[in-house]
Amino acid sequence: MKARLALALALALALALAVSGTAVPAHAHHSFAAEFDINKPVRLMGKVTRIEWTNPHTYFYIDVVDANGTVTNWAIEGPSPGALSRRAWQKDDLKVGDNVVVEGYRAKNGSNTANGRRVTLPDGRRLYGGSPGDGGPGDDGTDQGNLPATGTIK
Amino acid sequence: MSLHGWFMALAHSPLGHAMQTSRWGFAMVEMVHLLGLALLGGSVLIVDLRLLGVILKGEPAIAIGRDMSRLLLGSLTVMVLSGIALLSEEAGKCYYSPAFRCKMALLAAAVVFYFTLHRRALLRAQSEKPTLWPRIAAVISLLLWLGVGVAGRAIGLL
Amino acid sequence: MQFLQHFCEMLYQSSFGTMLRESNNAFSVIESVHVLSITLLVGTIAILDLRMLGLILRSVSVSRLARSVLPLSWSGFAVSVASGFLLFWAEAAKMYVNPSFRTKLVLLALAGFNALVFHTTIYRRAREWETLPVCPWRARVTAIASLALWSGVIIAGRAIAYF
Repeated sequence: MKARLALALALALALALAVSGTAVPAHAHHSFAAEFDINKPVRLMGKVTRIEWTNPHTYFYIDVVDANGTVTNWAIEGPSPGALSRRAWQKDDLKVGDNVVVEGYRAKNGSNTANGRRVTLPDGRRLYGGSPGDGGPGDDGTDQGNLPATGTIK
Repeated sequence: MSLHGWFMALAHSPLGHAMQTSRWGFAMVEMVHLLGLALLGGSVLIVDLRLLGVILKGEPAIAIGRDMSRLLLGSLTVMVLSGIALLSEEAGKCYYSPAFRCKMALLAAAVVFYFTLHRRALLRAQSEKPTLWPRIAAVISLLLWLGVGVAGRAIGLL
Repeated sequence: MQFLQHFCEMLYQSSFGTMLRESNNAFSVIESVHVLSITLLVGTIAILDLRMLGLILRSVSVSRLARSVLPLSWSGFAVSVASGFLLFWAEAAKMYVNPSFRTKLVLLALAGFNALVFHTTIYRRAREWETLPVCPWRARVTAIASLALWSGVIIAGRAIAYF
């Protein structure tokens, strides 16, 4: 009787989880491999339009103008403010209106979202947006990263 | 194989591939991990508060300890299994993470402590007036398990 | 609901809410307290529920276990609500439109209602049944509902991040 009850509880829980799982949208956690596509490198030059220096994730948005003059707004995802500040990336380092270069990898869901692997600020300073061991390009287990200087990103 | 090699092997295992490519796999496994946390934490609280002489004073501590052991070890098993799955999704990051290493050290300490000194303290605790060592053992146990939880949170925050 | 939305916007844009939301450590610490408080709140309630289902601690009567456990559950509730309110304050405008957050609050209310009904009815006569080998079906249904609802609160809470 007790074993059956415990089993019934376990099955009910599994069912609840299965149902809730189908409701979870595409923006899921969080290793490099799960969210970003290593086969879709991007190199974006654009003007910063918005900065969300927020927990749990930071985002900044840039307007990228292509050869035809079409403007696309991209979202660049980063870790929490605390994590960035521990890598000497402060809130004021990026300002709306700055022209920056973002090298990263596009989100697997195909949206205009990228993981900012390296951000080059207007003053030439480079910030590494990966984390040690995340498995993305330039990952060498440190929090400085090891992306090639000129890069093979087109 | 080196320690790093083990982590990479887990990342490249069928489990690792499934977790990394699944749209909602990590989320669901993490939810199981959290439910396990609630049960494990509750179990530890009941046993250690009894050992401290704060609750259920009429029952022998060892009886409470034995009665709760199935739930405690069962929920711990759920956490370890779900934890391995979570690890397989971000093995490299965890390998380099000081928070993860700290968590594993505290987990090992908590488990070893549970099966050795903690068990002996449960046997020694008197029903009416708990002596000093059982109380110390209870506090050590609570701090170790709390440490595991805090370190686990830190993995995602550092 | 206009007032509610306005209130959430106000909280979100307040300097305190903004400070929390953009903080280096405060938000992370408060969120960690909130997550770990589920052990005090849900863990203890789950143990009481499992007792009513006859699965653990059968040597302890239900009311005796409740007297030991419920103060812990209430402490856990206080910590969860306090930390949860601060997290809500930081993200209020986003939470207003978040379906998982709304679900979590509904499930929380239902869990509270379930407990209230139990405590004002069948639990009042606990002495009659608490030493029986099997608790009355109303107590067992309450226990199962409690386990399901609190699990739902945890699951919905985690899912907030995905919407």
